[in-house]
Amino acid sequence: MSERSQRIVAPVLILVVFLLAWEGMVTALKIEQFLLPKPTAILSNLVQVVRVDAADSTVLADREVAALLRANRLVVDLPAAVSPELLVPAEEGLIAEFRQGSRRVLLTRGGNLTPILQASWYTLKEALGGLAMGATAGILVALATARWTATREALLPFAIAANSMPIIAFAPILNNWFGIDNPFSKMAIVAVMVFFPLMINTVRGLTSAPPRSLELMRSYAASEFAILFKARIPNALPYLFSGLKVAGALAMIGAIVGEYFGGPRIALGVFITQEASLFRFASAWAAILMACAMGISLYLLIILAERLAMPWHSSFRE
Amino acid sequence: MTEAVVLLDSVDKTFGGGTAAQVQALSDINLSIGQNEFVSLIGPSGCGKSTLLRVIGDLITPSAGQAKVNGKSAAQARLDRDYGMVFQAATLYDWRTVAKNVQLPLELMKYPKEKKEQRTREMLALVELSDFARHYPWQLSGGMQQRVAIARALAFQPSILLMDEPFGALDEMTRERLNLELLDIWRKTKTTVVFVTHSITEAVFLSTRVVVMSARPGRITQDIPIDLPQPRSVETRENVRFFELEMQVREALRQSERRPESVEGRQPQ
Repeated sequence: MSERSQRIVAPVLILVVFLLAWEGMVTALKIEQFLLPKPTAILSNLVQVVRVDAADSTVLADREVAALLRANRLVVDLPAAVSPELLVPAEEGLIAEFRQGSRRVLLTRGGNLTPILQASWYTLKEALGGLAMGATAGILVALATARWTATREALLPFAIAANSMPIIAFAPILNNWFGIDNPFSKMAIVAVMVFFPLMINTVRGLTSAPPRSLELMRSYAASEFAILFKARIPNALPYLFSGLKVAGALAMIGAIVGEYFGGPRIALGVFITQEASLFRFASAWAAILMACAMGISLYLLIILAERLAMPWHSSFRE
Repeated sequence: MTEAVVLLDSVDKTFGGGTAAQVQALSDINLSIGQNEFVSLIGPSGCGKSTLLRVIGDLITPSAGQAKVNGKSAAQARLDRDYGMVFQAATLYDWRTVAKNVQLPLELMKYPKEKKEQRTREMLALVELSDFARHYPWQLSGGMQQRVAIARALAFQPSILLMDEPFGALDEMTRERLNLELLDIWRKTKTTVVFVTHSITEAVFLSTRVVVMSARPGRITQDIPIDLPQPRSVETRENVRFFELEMQVREALRQSERRPESVEGRQPQ
């Protein structure tokens, strides 16, 4: 096996073993679903044909549901005990809502994949929008402070103070300012959160150019502009990307936690809190794993961009 | 000697002037360097030889006295791009290939594309690195990196080459080979070289003149002409005169160190 494929195969193997152990442990120790659902339960929550919601939190067994819905002839196939009250579909994919004994049962087609994907996309847009705004602001301020040292001394204490604040505490206020359903309210939180790591890293990169390389530029009588673009900015790139990696994770956290304080129903944070408060832990877990997958993808994208932007850097030497 | 390329007139340099940590790095330096000379500055560390080189190159402004280069102020000479600099570390830009590193000054000086590429090819041929044009600096050995730095310094045909211990970090074998290469380049390009070193052998072998400095404060104690025949070669090192001159420089250094010490000397980083 080549070293390269080994680098990919080994982590994948570890992941598979981890999932199997999780599944086995939940089954063997008879851990309750609401404490920790099995990976298969989380997966089937995404892809199952129907979603069953019971207001008293009991869930119908899959085969019961299958019986209910066989060939989509819902009314005909219902067990005798059920008195169906077919209602007008309230949400997309809703097949039926009825009572079974004391239980109120909602049947929906398509599992949670579609709503979770929709919610993820919505939240990802918030995270990326906020990241773009915060990163742009951070880099611009860094360029200004690296160029005019006076600006750095004047602004840095405020930037550090801003970084020490629990920015997420402002989420309800920002929701109030921009409107709870306005994605901009979450983007603003994200932008404030990512501003500092990007600014401070970029400043460090811009100001840490080796003194000799600046002397060299000076000996060529290079303009400030040329020194910035040919020496300082390339030197700052590795720093900028490490800031960006931190900021990428912060952006996902900021967007989702911001949504915990309220947002439209199609947002991932709102989806997770709703599902959890209704004891639908498998779908909450599914949404959380989707959020993780997005965070990891964002990180990988930043690494890819890093490789493309600075193939010369020591971290990529074979 | 024809008209002086470098002319230093009573140059003083004090760092941290007015503070308790004040250090006099250079004191009353008078030096004249002519066209096509190869002058080495040698002295114990802290004697201000690197500071002196930077005063000539207008990277440091003297506290008193004047530095004139090619008949104008050092500042004007820098703006006119009269200097090629080579440091102890090659100071190549990691993000540029070897060819792009050599082109850096040409880009800054807005050479047309064709001339830029032609000069780059010529320079890489001069330092025998034509096959490495597309390599990145980290793929090269220390000696090769230093040759790229020399090619870069010479690319725009500066009238003066300022070298600050360019081979100080290299092993003895590489250093001797690069010494020969540098002399070859010097003959071909007819530049004036000011060379800072702390190696007596290197100074005597390369130079037409060795300027010996003492520390604290840095001042010139002796100016020794090196009358070894040109062109120099491996045999030069076996010449009896070579040993005599080495002895003379060593003795001059010893005398300069015996001078009473005053304040701590310091070299700029």
